[in-house]
Amino acid sequence: MSGAAPALSVRRLRKSFGAVVAVDEVSLDAAPGEFLSLLGPSGCGKSTLLRMIAGLVEPDGGQVVLAGEDITRVAVHRRNLGLVFQSYALFPHMTVLENVAFGLRRRGVAEPELGPRVERMLELVRLGPLGARYPRELSGGQQQRVALARALVTEPRVLLLDEPLSNLDALLRDEMRVELKRLQERLGTTMIFVTHDQAEALILSDRVVVMERGRVEQVGRPEEVYRRPATPFVARFLGRANFLTGTVAGSEADRTVVALEGGSLSIVAGPRPGLTAGQAVHAVIRQESIRLEPAGAGAEAGPNHFAATIVFHAFAGQAHHYVIQLANGRELEVAAPGAALPLARGARTFVAWRPDDVVLLPGGEPGPGGAR
Amino acid sequence: MRPGSGWWLLVPALLLLLAAFVLPVGMMVPMSFRPYVPLVGITDGFTVRYYTRLLTDSYYLEIIGRTLALGFTVTLSTLVIGYPVAFFLARTRSRWRNWLTILIVFPLMLNLVVRTFGWIALLAQNGLVNQALHALGIVDSPVKLLFNFAGLLIAMTHIFLPFMVLVLIGAIQNIPRDVEDAARVLGASWGSTFCRVTLPLSTPGILSGSILVFVLSISALVTPRLLGGPTYQVMSTLIFDEFLQRLNWPAGSAQALLLTIMVLTLVYLSGRLARRTGAGA
Repeated sequence: MSGAAPALSVRRLRKSFGAVVAVDEVSLDAAPGEFLSLLGPSGCGKSTLLRMIAGLVEPDGGQVVLAGEDITRVAVHRRNLGLVFQSYALFPHMTVLENVAFGLRRRGVAEPELGPRVERMLELVRLGPLGARYPRELSGGQQQRVALARALVTEPRVLLLDEPLSNLDALLRDEMRVELKRLQERLGTTMIFVTHDQAEALILSDRVVVMERGRVEQVGRPEEVYRRPATPFVARFLGRANFLTGTVAGSEADRTVVALEGGSLSIVAGPRPGLTAGQAVHAVIRQESIRLEPAGAGAEAGPNHFAATIVFHAFAGQAHHYVIQLANGRELEVAAPGAALPLARGARTFVAWRPDDVVLLPGGEPGPGGAR
Repeated sequence: MRPGSGWWLLVPALLLLLAAFVLPVGMMVPMSFRPYVPLVGITDGFTVRYYTRLLTDSYYLEIIGRTLALGFTVTLSTLVIGYPVAFFLARTRSRWRNWLTILIVFPLMLNLVVRTFGWIALLAQNGLVNQALHALGIVDSPVKLLFNFAGLLIAMTHIFLPFMVLVLIGAIQNIPRDVEDAARVLGASWGSTFCRVTLPLSTPGILSGSILVFVLSISALVTPRLLGGPTYQVMSTLIFDEFLQRLNWPAGSAQALLLTIMVLTLVYLSGRLARRTGAGA
C-alpha cells in the first residue's frame, strides 16, 4: 500500500445479531483511489461490514474513520458516501433525471449548476437520452447504471457497492464489470466492493479482502490471494484447487519434500522456511497448474512427475476438465487448455507440476474433503 | 371463450354480483321515474320530480352535503390517526407486533350495534366524555356530542380505523427498505426521506384505504341512525326512511341511485389520480 493516508479505515469493527457474530473485530484500510473487494460466501459478514461503513447498521464496537475523521457516530445522511445496492433501489416515482439529482438537491446544489452535473454524469454512464424515463421503463443494466450515476454524481468520498452486478445476467455482468472498472480509473473514486463472486473480485480489485464467518482470512493483491492463499479456506474459495495432505519429510534451502498420506508418494514444493520435518501440511495445487504429459512425450522425469489414469473428461470450452487417478488411488482435478487434444477416459498418461506451484499450508486439522 | 384461459373462475362471483347488485340497481332506474301518490301508492306514469327535488330542495342538498362532508372528514381522520399506527406495525420487529395487529382488528369482532351503544354511553350529555371534560375544568356546561356531526365523526372514525390501518400496513410493507436507505445515504434526513420517498410510495395504500373508508362511511346506516337520531339525517338513513317508513319507493330509488353514482364517480376519479401519480410503480 502507498504511504498516503488511507481514504477509509475500519478499526476493530464488531457487530452481532443475537448470538450470531456477523462481524468480528475487523480492521481494514483502503488507500485513496483504491478498488477494494470484500469477498466471501453469503453470511460471512461482508454486507454487514459495508452497511456499518455506510452507517445503516450501528456497530457494537470499533471505529469507522473516513480520511482521518472518526465517523462512527455520524448520521447516515451526513457521511457523504455513495452506496449502490444489488436491488438498484432506484426511486420508482421519480424519473432518471430526478433520481440522479436527488443527492445534489439534498446538498442544496443550485438548479443552474445541478442540471449540467446530472447531464454530464448520465453521459458518463451512457444514459444521456434516457433522462425523462422512469426506472420501470429501463432494463436491469440501465437501472444499475442509473444507480451508479446517482451515487457518483455527489462525488462521494468513498463509493460502497453491495453486490451491484449479481442481479444481472452473465453477459451483461461482464460488460458492466469493464464499465465499472473504467469508470473507477477515470474518476479515481475509492471503491469498496462486496461480492461473493471470486472471478469478479479478482478482475476488478486492486486488493481483495477474503472474509469468512465475520473474520478477515487474507488481504492481498488478486495474484497474491490466488497464488499464495494464506489459509485452506482462501485456497478453496478462490478457484478450484486440489488438496493433498501429508507430512514434511525434509526442508532444504531450495525445496521442501512432503510425504503424502498413504506413504508411497512424495511431492516437492518450493522452499518454505519455518516448516519442520514431521509437521502435518496441506499441499494445495491449482487444477490449471497440473500438466498432462501423455505417455512417451517427455522422457526425463523431473520432480512431481507421476503416472496417472484418466477417470473423467469433460470439455468446457476454454479448457478440458479431467479427473485423474494417481498410483496411490488419489484423484486430482486437472484443467488442460481447450485447444489440446482430448484424452479418452481410461487412457494412461503422466502428470507433472512445478514445485513453485505447490502451496504448503500448515494444518493440524485436515481441511474438510479432498479435491473440490 | 377459450378453455383454460381461466375466465370461468369469475363466473360464481359475476352471477352473485348480477343478482345482488346489477339487477336491483337496474330495477331501481324505472322505479325512480314513477309517481308516488300518498294513500294510493306507486302509480303508472313518468316523472322526474324526485330527481329535481333531490338536486334543488335545500333540505335534501343539506343531507347530501352532510353525507359527503362526513365521508371526507372520517376518511381524513382515519388516515391521520391510522398512518402512524400502520407505519409502526409495518416496521417494528417487536415480538408484540402480531398482538398489536390483533388489537387493531379486535373491534371488528364486536357487534356494530354494541360498539355504537358504547359511544352513546361515552358521548351522552352526562356521559363519560362530558364528565371528564367537566372534571378537568375544560368546559362549564356539557358539550353536545350526540345527534350531531361531531358525534358521528368520532364514532365512525373509530369504527372504520381498522380498515384504513390494515390496508396501509400492506402498502407500507411493500416499500423496499433499500430505497429508503438509498435516500438516506444520498443525504436525506429521516424526515426528508419520509416526505420524499416513503409517503409518495405509500400513495397506492393511502388511495385504496381512503376509497374503502369513504365508501363505507357514506353508506353506513346503523351508526348514523343510532347516533344521529331520527332528525339528524344522512343519505343512507334518508333512503331507509323513504323505503320503509314513507313507503315512497320512487323517491328512495332516486336517492339510492344518486348515492351509487356519487360512489362510482369517486372511485373512478381516484383510480385516475393513482395512475397519474405513477403510484402503481
